Amino acid sequence: MAEEETSSEGLGWLFSWLPAWCPTSLLHLKEAEDKMLKCITSTYNKQYVYISNGNKIWTLTFSPDFSHKTPLVLLHGFGGGVGLWALNFEDLCENRTIHAFDLLGFGRSSRPHFDTDAQEAENQFVESIEEWRKEVGLEKMILLGHNLGGFLAAAYSLKYPKRVKHLILVEPWGFPERPDNAEHERPIPIWIKALGAILSPFNPLAGLRIAGPFGLSLVQRLRPDFKRKYSSMFDDNTVTEYIYHCNVQSPSGETAFKNMTIPYGWAKRPMLQRIPQMDKDIPITVVYGARSCIDGNSGSTIQSLRPNSYVKTIAILGAGHYVYADQPEDFNQKVKDICDSVD
Amino acid sequence: MLDRERGWSVSFAGCGFLGVYHIGAASCLQERAPHIIRDARHVYGASAGALAGAVLVGGGNLVQACADVMALAKEARKRNLGPLHPSFNVIKIIRDGLMRNLPENTHQLSSGRLCISLTRVSDGKNTLISHFNSKEEVVQALICSSFVPIYCGLIPPSFRGVRYVDGGISDNLPHYESKNTITVSPFAGECDICPKGNSANFHEMNLTNTSIQLSLGNLYRLTQALFPPEPKVLGEICEQGYSDALKFLKENGIVSDSIYIHLSFTKRNPHEAAQPTDHMKKKELTDNRVETLKVEVLSDQLKQNPQPLEMSIFESLPPRLRKALQEACKEQNGFYAQFSKLFPMRVISYLMLPYTLPVESAYSVALRLVNWFPDMPADIRWMQEQLCQIAGTVYSQAKSKLFCTSRKDNYASLRKCQTVPSTVEFHSSYCQLKMPHSSADLETWLWESSRFVHSAMKSASANTQEHSDLNLYPNFLPNSDESGLEIDLDSSSDTSFQTAPEY
Repeated sequence: MAEEETSSEGLGWLFSWLPAWCPTSLLHLKEAEDKMLKCITSTYNKQYVYISNGNKIWTLTFSPDFSHKTPLVLLHGFGGGVGLWALNFEDLCENRTIHAFDLLGFGRSSRPHFDTDAQEAENQFVESIEEWRKEVGLEKMILLGHNLGGFLAAAYSLKYPKRVKHLILVEPWGFPERPDNAEHERPIPIWIKALGAILSPFNPLAGLRIAGPFGLSLVQRLRPDFKRKYSSMFDDNTVTEYIYHCNVQSPSGETAFKNMTIPYGWAKRPMLQRIPQMDKDIPITVVYGARSCIDGNSGSTIQSLRPNSYVKTIAILGAGHYVYADQPEDFNQKVKDICDSVD
Repeated sequence: MLDRERGWSVSFAGCGFLGVYHIGAASCLQERAPHIIRDARHVYGASAGALAGAVLVGGGNLVQACADVMALAKEARKRNLGPLHPSFNVIKIIRDGLMRNLPENTHQLSSGRLCISLTRVSDGKNTLISHFNSKEEVVQALICSSFVPIYCGLIPPSFRGVRYVDGGISDNLPHYESKNTITVSPFAGECDICPKGNSANFHEMNLTNTSIQLSLGNLYRLTQALFPPEPKVLGEICEQGYSDALKFLKENGIVSDSIYIHLSFTKRNPHEAAQPTDHMKKKELTDNRVETLKVEVLSDQLKQNPQPLEMSIFESLPPRLRKALQEACKEQNGFYAQFSKLFPMRVISYLMLPYTLPVESAYSVALRLVNWFPDMPADIRWMQEQLCQIAGTVYSQAKSKLFCTSRKDNYASLRKCQTVPSTVEFHSSYCQLKMPHSSADLETWLWESSRFVHSAMKSASANTQEHSDLNLYPNFLPNSDESGLEIDLDSSSDTSFQTAPEY
């Protein structure tokens, strides 16, 4: 388990000019991540964890000495990476070991080719988490997932219920089914629908890569809120740079996500259909931001689907989709309370 | 959220014609939970949001405001070019509407509570105005906040002698980051009161603090903000605002949801609609619960035997607001209105546009000129100042650029002789990145060329200024800040690359 830097190889002549178009590389990403984690004073280990098929998972481990307590494992969301938890690590690791890793196909982890089938791709994600767990040597864990991470955490708990002591879903993606009451929505002009149809075959963040050298300023222009969310830690564009470099590399996890969705943004295999099959001994806590555009109703629906199990919904006021960055103090406190209730 | 001790604020997003959404939301807050607005510390707003806030705080009438917005939208849709037609003077209509709607003591009511977001023209920075000395000042601040450049006119209006434009350009949703601000926005996104779109997409963009989910519905709404849709669609947006606000109140436990239970009850038992209901009696009923029930019954009845469309919509709105909307949605039944709607007539009117437009433009320009007379001297003075300023900056920029190239050249040659190893370092680091073109090469190329220019200039005119610069060289070298900084930079890059393999 040692860190090593390898640039992408064997992509052929077509991609050889790509770095020139998008000013990024694994080294850029590494530097951006180092900047993100610069302000963290607690000590931590960072390493690659090697799993099958030559893939490796970039992992951060905080306070590894608390071996008697169930560790907390953080799964980031779509387009993110371990660096986005920068506001949460220090609080959460006070009395518990924390592992955070870049999901397969995202951040600094390997970016393999995923199957185009939604179920198969989901399985690849879940297996990568399981292999990672084996390699790190965890018996049981508290699994916390945000957005896509929440979906995968639930999928993992369905398949390996013995390994999960508590499931924390933060603004989970992909739970409700796509509603088919189209007549409820106001009619939308044809030209806008046509535009949507033209754009739908593309990856969600394809525009960022097409923009090439302008991509970074595009992120800064469209998401100035990220800079503000992390303004307690950084004055400069560290966060937007990190997000940019996370997402302009070859789109592997992004393509897998695309294959797992149906327009617009709904899951092909919604988790609410499968949640009743989950081991009823796994307690679930759903954390959502009161302002988020993702519906917070999933929590109560899960509750009604699992009448004999522990399901709790927590709303964090003044927080949007990125709950852990919008209101870090509240979020950390709530998560710590949940973890303390475990052991 | 509604913590008595810490207080709360309400913030309305700027949104052009979608301001009817704010009216719907505000009338819900006023009706179901009046203390939310009454006890709010501040009511923030930008552009259309500021108008809604001013009507709410400053003692205006929401129904009247709704009718005004609908009339404005209809006026904008009246002509072939829509709101871009020169005879459409949006600022004048808004000003007249506000003057009519706001009471004389509105400045006393809104001072200290209403905060209007404005964008200063001179530096593009945001200002929040919250104290007003007269009703005219309130209206003028609102006009400034609603002034979308180019769309509304070319010369920005002034408030207390300073030129301002639309607050949405710099901050469209003031104080949204605060936890105890209730944010209201007609765009689906991360707000407390906003439409929940039929999309699970979590991608969004953030335009000057307003988060807008990337969805087709929002794209449509963005086009509607400045180019208003039909009155009926606007009415639906208003209704949506009302129901979203109600949902917010319900989710936060501010109102009980007994009304909703009744609604679903009637929905499940459509046969109850068999009872005959008197249409006129319905309006006189004040009890909410009974009324919603009856309205529901009425709408069920309407579904059975089709009646005029506008009766079946807006059913959840309070009666007076509903009436205003229905009034606005009424088609003109006159002969001319019917006639001009025929397809051939519309084609002809478009074909005639090249001929009618100049005449109409000339007329409206003349009209605007007359209206402009009182402000003319101030505006012309301002334009003169702007021109002078622009000319001044261009001149100084050009001057500094010329000066800068010669200075840069000095540094360049200085750097080259001082830190040769650093360029080597650069090369190696970029090789590692497998960059096909080294930017270091580019840099040297630039220096080379600028040096060439510089030497050419020198040979052409032995300027005394440059001579003095050259004389500075030796003194400048040993202990200048710049050279120290450079060495620092190099050493840091050194260490960062050395430490990299240690992990």
